[in-house]
Amino acid sequence: MKTINCRFGEIDFDPANTLKTPRGFIGFEDLRDFIVMPKRNEGPLFWIQSADDPAIAFLLTDPTQFFPEYQVGPDKEESALLDIGPNDSCFVLSVVTVHPDQTITLNLAAPVLFAPETNNAVQVILEGATYQTRTPLPTTAPTAAAAAK
Amino acid sequence: MLVLTRKSGEGILIGDDIKITVVGMRGNSIRIGIDAPRSQKVHRLEVYERIQEQNREAVRWEPADFENLESLFNTPAQQEQP
Repeated sequence: MKTINCRFGEIDFDPANTLKTPRGFIGFEDLRDFIVMPKRNEGPLFWIQSADDPAIAFLLTDPTQFFPEYQVGPDKEESALLDIGPNDSCFVLSVVTVHPDQTITLNLAAPVLFAPETNNAVQVILEGATYQTRTPLPTTAPTAAAAAK
Repeated sequence: MLVLTRKSGEGILIGDDIKITVVGMRGNSIRIGIDAPRSQKVHRLEVYERIQEQNREAVRWEPADFENLESLFNTPAQQEQP
């Protein structure tokens, strides 16, 4: 076990179980190991903490919950990076940005492909697509549960 | 930075397997052809830089944001998380 002291406090983690990013995130190519933090509730957000740099943590979410038509899969080269075969599952995730005014956007232009079998992830750029790096969440009617609060 | 002058139809070879050709010019724009192995990702520089900047902005969140924001997400249906 190793310990990292970051903005969330002291976290113990097993280096063998970290999420590996063989190419890093764009702009953070040197950071290849992330700790997937346990979810604290049933919400759609979770976060990953860099095992190497305490200052770096990404908020991620499943974009298909908000954009059901958003379908992204790995190409051959990305499958090789993820170390998966054609029948292995691969989930698409989006990097969440919290802006100073507390609005939230998803980066749909550069999704993160995640392969649970190998615990690898790779951020890809959708060239030629019209997706934006700052896509606001769709405005949906509040759910009954939220309205009751 | 190495600066070379090329005419339309001329090219540049980078390493063994990346070939860049000036395909044509129109006004301010230059059309560039790129032959590279599929493993070499090719991106428009400004697109790449925009994503780099977005990632840098994305890591600036605070734990307090997390608590506030979960409630702002209105998911159409509770689904199983990957």
